[in-house]
Amino acid sequence: MRYQVVIAGFGGQGVVFLVKVLALCAGNRDIPFLGTENHGMSQRGGAVSCDIKVGDFSNPVIDNGQADLIIGLDANEALRNLHLLKQGASVISNAKEAFPALPFEVTLVDANAKALNNEFPIQGLNVFMLGITLAKVEGFPFSVEEVKQAITQMNAKVAQQNIEILDMAMEYAKSL
Amino acid sequence: MKQTLMGNDAIAWGLVHANVDMVSGYPGTPSSEILGVVQKIKKQLELPIYAEWGTNEKVGFEVAYAGAIAGKRTCATMKQVGLNVASDALMSASYIGNLGGMLLIAADDPGFHSSQTEQDSRVFAKFARIPVLDPATPQDAYDMVKQGVALSEKFQVPVMMRPVMRVCHAREIIEMDAETNFKPNEGKFVREVSRWAGVPRDGRLRQGHEVLDRIETIKQYNWEELLAPEFAKCKGGKLLILTSGTGYAFAKETLDDLGLKADIVKIKMPYPLPEAKIREEFEKYEQVLVIEEPYPCVEEQLAHPKLHGKNTGTMHLIDEMKKEHILKAFQSMGFYAGANIYEVPKLDLGFEVPARPPALCPGCPHRDIYYAIMKVFKKRKSIYPSDIGCYTLALSQGAIDSILCMGASVSMASGFSLADPDKTVVATIGDGTFFHSGIPPLLNAVYQGHKFILVILDNSTIAMTGRQPTPERFHQAIDIGKIVEGMGITCMEHTYSYEMQDNIDFMKTVKTQFESPEQKGPLVVRVKQFCILDNERKDDWVPGIFAEVDPELCVACDQCTTVYKCPPMAYNAEGKIEIDPFLCAGCGGCLDVICPTDAFIVDEKKTEVKS
Ligand SMILES: Cc1ncc(C[n+]2csc(CCOP(=O)(O)OP(=O)(O)O)c2C)c(N)n1
Ligand code: SF4
Repeated sequence: MRYQVVIAGFGGQGVVFLVKVLALCAGNRDIPFLGTENHGMSQRGGAVSCDIKVGDFSNPVIDNGQADLIIGLDANEALRNLHLLKQGASVISNAKEAFPALPFEVTLVDANAKALNNEFPIQGLNVFMLGITLAKVEGFPFSVEEVKQAITQMNAKVAQQNIEILDMAMEYAKSL
Repeated sequence: MKQTLMGNDAIAWGLVHANVDMVSGYPGTPSSEILGVVQKIKKQLELPIYAEWGTNEKVGFEVAYAGAIAGKRTCATMKQVGLNVASDALMSASYIGNLGGMLLIAADDPGFHSSQTEQDSRVFAKFARIPVLDPATPQDAYDMVKQGVALSEKFQVPVMMRPVMRVCHAREIIEMDAETNFKPNEGKFVREVSRWAGVPRDGRLRQGHEVLDRIETIKQYNWEELLAPEFAKCKGGKLLILTSGTGYAFAKETLDDLGLKADIVKIKMPYPLPEAKIREEFEKYEQVLVIEEPYPCVEEQLAHPKLHGKNTGTMHLIDEMKKEHILKAFQSMGFYAGANIYEVPKLDLGFEVPARPPALCPGCPHRDIYYAIMKVFKKRKSIYPSDIGCYTLALSQGAIDSILCMGASVSMASGFSLADPDKTVVATIGDGTFFHSGIPPLLNAVYQGHKFILVILDNSTIAMTGRQPTPERFHQAIDIGKIVEGMGITCMEHTYSYEMQDNIDFMKTVKTQFESPEQKGPLVVRVKQFCILDNERKDDWVPGIFAEVDPELCVACDQCTTVYKCPPMAYNAEGKIEIDPFLCAGCGGCLDVICPTDAFIVDEKKTEVKS
């Protein structure tokens, strides 16, 4: 199997948490995993993107036209990384406004509005977007159960809350 | 045991599993996590390891090196430019050698992700004539730490490992020792004055000959143990690809992607190379390509008519490796005639995606202090030399005129004040950088009577590299004010205030003092502040006052987005400034002075909830 994911957002949104969850999923099933992080000098609020390669790869960087999926925690950061996608790839993004027509399978949710509406705490934005991904992306390499197991391994204390957010996102995705 | 680890975690575990007793270094991206993780493992497993930051890289290196002279297994960690600072010690350590093992980890940053230069530490190893190992992956890095420590003991010389950012910050599932049976090494200094205190000319000349002999021995080792088994797997043919470090992974994937086959050799030790032996292998091929970064280190050692690389214009000369560069090299060598599969048609979104330029965190006190400096010391009449740290990001506020390397703000303030005495030089430096290399140039300025203002932005942490402690905060508090006073000058003190007017008023007193006739040499100012990501201290400082914008008052004058520059502030669809509630840190800094129409007001609801 070969599957390449870009997770894009800015510092403070918990991009790296998602990378760790997916790494655990791969490890639990004993599939090779490679990941790398791209960020500049700023800490909170600076652009961050992570490349994730699941399967038979040897270098962690995703090249242009190669990725199967972008998970955007921020709309502009998702748009900034579109060149990495291959034809027919999926885009799952947090976005206030609609994207222009794109040659990809695009699912947009205004997750910020939902957080502002107190439907989930904003710290759970990353997990919320992963829930949307699980519900919407055909061919995503990991199952809901595998993701939940990894979330529990990451931090048992907040696992319950994270799993609730994941379930809520998957339920919500049905309406999209 | 299988574990998903980041490269730097893998390196830290490698050090523990190699029974390294002492780790000493200085933070710098992408190397910083290594020492921190060793500290964590030490605490968790209660191991007798010394794992502490030095005040700078030279100090960190020398502590570790002396440990290795005295028979311990040691390691010094730093980033590539850190090695410039430690290089004086390294050059002589290569002559003198060690009894125990010493691994020097210098992490490179091809692509300038967070470094001022793209220098290649392998070339530094060559310059110092010590062997260097170059891992391609976190797994390699784990294995090479053990190998490097053993080699250092075997050959009695420091061994360098040079991971690049894509190894340090890559994550993969690695195989490591299931158990940690840490065995400390006995430290015992054995007096041998002619070796440990060899002097010019005779002592060092003799050691210089030893260095040359040692390098020949290591070349032979490199061939027999590392290279010959690799070449034995090769079949010969059109193309031989020689790789160092991540070049291996990039080359292998490019071949896979393009459906091509060629022999690839992973050079684990890119210096010293057994040139003649390797060149003999070239006879089995029509052409040879070297894939390495960032400098042509292997290529220059092996120069040969069949050899292609950076010096022949076949590979890229600067910036990070990409598979596309390798594809193009294959094309130019006639090895691949197909399309460029990494070229994607440009998508027209109909608009430019707004840039997210590097910025200080929301709520960072550096922003407010720079704002106050600029208010009081007007741009036209001032020069603002600055230094390396988070505060460098105040560049976007227009508050910085020069950046060179750590500590240079102070000496450059001297130089500017001499060259252009009509301007007021206001230099800024962080506390971390002041301790690292800001003290000698300040001594120089006092001693020579150079007249400028030095503002020490003291947030009690080395923030930019992940908040390592500074000397003032550890074991025993070291007081910056007393250091300055020890030089015979006074240190003006100020405590950051979220009420901007306080900071401006203080800077006015600085100006008055600086302009008074009795002010002769440098005027040092220390501003006590905090880092908003510093969980130990921030609650004592952040008032939890959240701001919102009164749209009636906002006249879209751009003051906040161009001069104050706090990331949550942006124009909304109505052309009014809005504050992103998820990003606002509740510092209250924008409520006063920043907005000419006072459009920033307290968000009562949010402020109440938080307090
Ligand atoms: C010689 C050298 N070593 C290490 C680094 C990495 N580095 C970048 S900024 C910095 C220090 C920042 O600390 P400080 O001056 O306290 O500023 P702060 O980030 O806390 O504002 C370091 C160590 C470097 N750039 N150069
Ligand atoms: S990490 Fe700390 S010092 Fe650096 S910009 Fe953020 S708040 Fe400021």
